[in-house]
Amino acid sequence: MPTYELAFIVRKMSRPEVVSTLKRTSEAIWKKGGFIRKLDNLGSRALPHKISEHGLVHREGQYFNIQFDAPPANIKDLSDEFGLDIDIIRKNFFKMEEPPKFECTLQEEMLPPAYRKEVKDMIKIAQKKQKKKYQYNSGFDYYPFQK
Amino acid sequence: MLRSAATNLLRQADQNLGHSSFNLQFVRYRRKPRWLPVAKSKMFRIPEHPEQSDEEKAELLRLHNHYRTQMRSVRLFLREEAQRIRQTSSADHLVMTPEEEEAEFQKCVAINDEWNKKISEERNQRLEADLQKTKEFVDERLEAFRERKEEHIENIDAIVKAEKEMAKTFITREKLDEAIETALANPIDYNFSIDLKRNMYHGRLTRPEKEQRQLEAAN
Repeated sequence: MPTYELAFIVRKMSRPEVVSTLKRTSEAIWKKGGFIRKLDNLGSRALPHKISEHGLVHREGQYFNIQFDAPPANIKDLSDEFGLDIDIIRKNFFKMEEPPKFECTLQEEMLPPAYRKEVKDMIKIAQKKQKKKYQYNSGFDYYPFQK
Repeated sequence: MLRSAATNLLRQADQNLGHSSFNLQFVRYRRKPRWLPVAKSKMFRIPEHPEQSDEEKAELLRLHNHYRTQMRSVRLFLREEAQRIRQTSSADHLVMTPEEEEAEFQKCVAINDEWNKKISEERNQRLEADLQKTKEFVDERLEAFRERKEEHIENIDAIVKAEKEMAKTFITREKLDEAIETALANPIDYNFSIDLKRNMYHGRLTRPEKEQRQLEAAN
């Protein structure tokens, strides 16, 4: 089962209500055959803009993030279920993937062009493509080709 | 274009009237077009044909018959002559007695056998080398495959081990209340900033210590 992140915003409410919402959310994930790895609270903050959801206008919310594993086929169901939950203002699922391996080559890229490897290669290719020129110091005292 | 070419040709033809190869007459471009009917003045003209008298015809037939007979006899003579020469002459092939022929054949067979032997030795050597090479290649690939597989299994084992270790921290139904309490009590901030000395400041509003102290002093 792939790991997902569920980032969601809960409307501003009292602590017991928040706890019950979180319990509901976790229960839904377990029911769909998933297991929860981590539960993070990102704090209560003003929303970036006012959000009208489930017939109410929200200006503040509490941000949560749940890391969980679940069968991919059930993510849509979970999304639908949380969409119907009136305490959840916004929700989004993200697949957690290993970050791509990255090696910093800034030092090489910052070198002057003449020292960069790709430029050197380009010069080599250009030299290969150049037409051969007749060498005048080859011993003949006349030019052997048509002028 | 075609017309001008034809004109040129015609001009040349006029100049070289004596040469038969250039004495051409282009009907198409100098006369009237093909689709025009016969002129009225020529409609009832009957072309004149040269008439041959009976004596002339008979004479010509006689001469032709003579010619054909003579040619046939020459042809037959030459054919028979060629056949005769082909059967009797030994100019283009050697004439040998059966014993000589047999000896010659045996000699050829011996040479052929020698060549075959030499070539078969070379071939066997080559095949042996090829086989050896193939064996080495297959062994190498098998070894590489085994190593790859082992590595794969090792990777999987490492993942399983890590997951097993992680499983202890998974949130179960029993641990849920505690986890929620902890989470609500400790809000986490993923934001961070870095400065030019690669120092990392976690948190959305965290400032470097110096500034922090200044702020506190100001307050």
